[in-house]
Amino acid sequence: MIFWFGFAWQSAWSRRQALALVTISVAVSVLILLSVQQLRDDARRSFSNALSGVDLIVGPRGSATELMLYSVFQLGRPSRNMGYAGFQEIQTMPQVRWAVPIQLGDTYQGHPVLGTTATLFTEFKSQGQGLSWAHGRAFGNPQLQVAALKEVVLGAEVARRFGHQLGDQLVMTHGAGGGPEDTDHEDQPLTVVGILKATGAPIDRSVLVNLETFEAMHQGWGLGISPRALQAAQAQQIVTPDAKNLEPVSLSAVWVGLHNRSDVFSVRRKIESINRDPLMAVMPGVALDELWQVVKVVENTLVLVGLLVAASAMLSVAAVLLVAMAGRRKELAILRAMGVSPKAMLGYVLLEAVLICFLGILLGELLSQGLMWAAQDLLRVQFGVLVQPGWPSAQAWLSLGAVGIVAVLASLLPAWQAYRLSLVDGLHPPTV
Amino acid sequence: MRLALHLSELIHAWPGQAPLIRIDELQLPQGQHLFIQGPSGCGKSTLLSLLAGVQQVQHGRCEVLGHDMRNLNSVQRDRLRGEQMGVIFQQFNLLPFINAQANALLPTKLFPSRAAAASKAFGSPVRQAQSLAESLGLSALLWQQPVHQLSVGQQQRVAAVRALMGQPQLIIADEPTSALDDTKQLEFLDLLLETAASQGASVVMVSHNARLADRFHQVYVWPTKEAA
Repeated sequence: MIFWFGFAWQSAWSRRQALALVTISVAVSVLILLSVQQLRDDARRSFSNALSGVDLIVGPRGSATELMLYSVFQLGRPSRNMGYAGFQEIQTMPQVRWAVPIQLGDTYQGHPVLGTTATLFTEFKSQGQGLSWAHGRAFGNPQLQVAALKEVVLGAEVARRFGHQLGDQLVMTHGAGGGPEDTDHEDQPLTVVGILKATGAPIDRSVLVNLETFEAMHQGWGLGISPRALQAAQAQQIVTPDAKNLEPVSLSAVWVGLHNRSDVFSVRRKIESINRDPLMAVMPGVALDELWQVVKVVENTLVLVGLLVAASAMLSVAAVLLVAMAGRRKELAILRAMGVSPKAMLGYVLLEAVLICFLGILLGELLSQGLMWAAQDLLRVQFGVLVQPGWPSAQAWLSLGAVGIVAVLASLLPAWQAYRLSLVDGLHPPTV
Repeated sequence: MRLALHLSELIHAWPGQAPLIRIDELQLPQGQHLFIQGPSGCGKSTLLSLLAGVQQVQHGRCEVLGHDMRNLNSVQRDRLRGEQMGVIFQQFNLLPFINAQANALLPTKLFPSRAAAASKAFGSPVRQAQSLAESLGLSALLWQQPVHQLSVGQQQRVAAVRALMGQPQLIIADEPTSALDDTKQLEFLDLLLETAASQGASVVMVSHNARLADRFHQVYVWPTKEAA
């Protein structure tokens, strides 16, 4: 058997150009299949882990998926806001252990600026773990000390990407940056007082400020237009604002943690029946499931495409070997003369095809891991997906197994041809 | 006396055609060489296929190395050929993707009994291959070369080495000299027959070339159509 491995390899090596191409086509199909599956698995894990501590997400009534995406994953932008009074009411509910306001809209170098309260740092959990500090501390309470209005906390990724350290002065950008109405808050530079440890959650990519700081930066901004542009003189009169007057009118969302998770339905009902403002309270798990339902179509399409590519790669392996078989009749006759039976010939050609497919699968797996490794920074920064290159998952093994079985089935075609030819030709193949 | 071949009343025909082979009686003692002479297309190669066990015998008796070929199934016939016979073709005997030595060693890789026989007689298959190559006048320098760099005559010698590896009892040769120059034909044939004889192997060779016949113990001239 070991002899046959080496022998089949030498025979295949002599036809390496054509075989290398089909091996690559097998590898590409495996690459597509594995990458789709791994991205899906990693995306799901990253998304559900990011939400592990939040029981309810509250926002203006609308799409649950949208609310979750912009408030937790900072994907997309809120189209409407909820009233601040709603947040105050939620805070006072007895079942609520903590409630954190989320104000969105500004960015720092493309990273979302989150206006919130220091409660976030003590209550928010990601991957089941609370937040901890790489450097510095949380921003202070501006109601107690006005200086806290100038403080900012950075997520690990933001600090790493720009090499920021404690004490750095940052200028936030109004809006997402780049648009004609987007302008820097140059008059309100903020000082870095804390840098969070990496969590793998979207918070790593965020810049966090006090809700009041967020308000202060926008004082006098009418319809999203810089007051400086409107009324330069008036803008200069803005002196240190009074924290007491910086209570916002509206919020993008509120994250809620409960004392007891079993209260989640009653609290949701209570929140959604607050009269003055049509609110929506979403359970992150449910919203995620809804999201996966939507994404599933795309996923399945990609898996289907991967499977079709795999099938066509297998067919091309079979076709290449089948075409080569005509030129190998002499080889078969020589082996037959040395006592190799037609059945062994079948096994010999099958072995070659299986070797090719195995190599292709191995190559595809390596390529997909290489790709994940190369793209992991991009995926984390852009999409908050934490990929874990490594051993294929159970499902990946399943699809690799499926590819392997299809490979063997496809290989049966040239192998059968070898069997038939060696029977028909015997010692005397037609001279070409 | 052991017989390498014993054919009697052997008849072979393609379906719906007149018999291609009709041999009343033919005996070849072990160690002797048989020359089968006839024009091309007369059925000589089919006879070799029957002797080698590639095709099933239809009618009559065909004993090869003491085995009645009609009693063996295809797997047993393949095994008999692999373990106790060597086959040499007219040309293209060698696999192009392995070198000359690897080609010569193939029978001992495929059948452990051949490797064992080679080791018993020469110490190792490689040693036997070297010894055979020397007897057949093959330079050791050619041994590691890719097959396509060898001349036709050199290739035929490698094929002869391969056929003789592991002490087979019967060498079946189908026009092994016809791809060679006239001067080289006799030289190659003499070396092949001598080396086979030194191992006690019988050689059955078919050829259209009557000039070679006097080197053999027995000659079977294929009956012409009219005579049949």
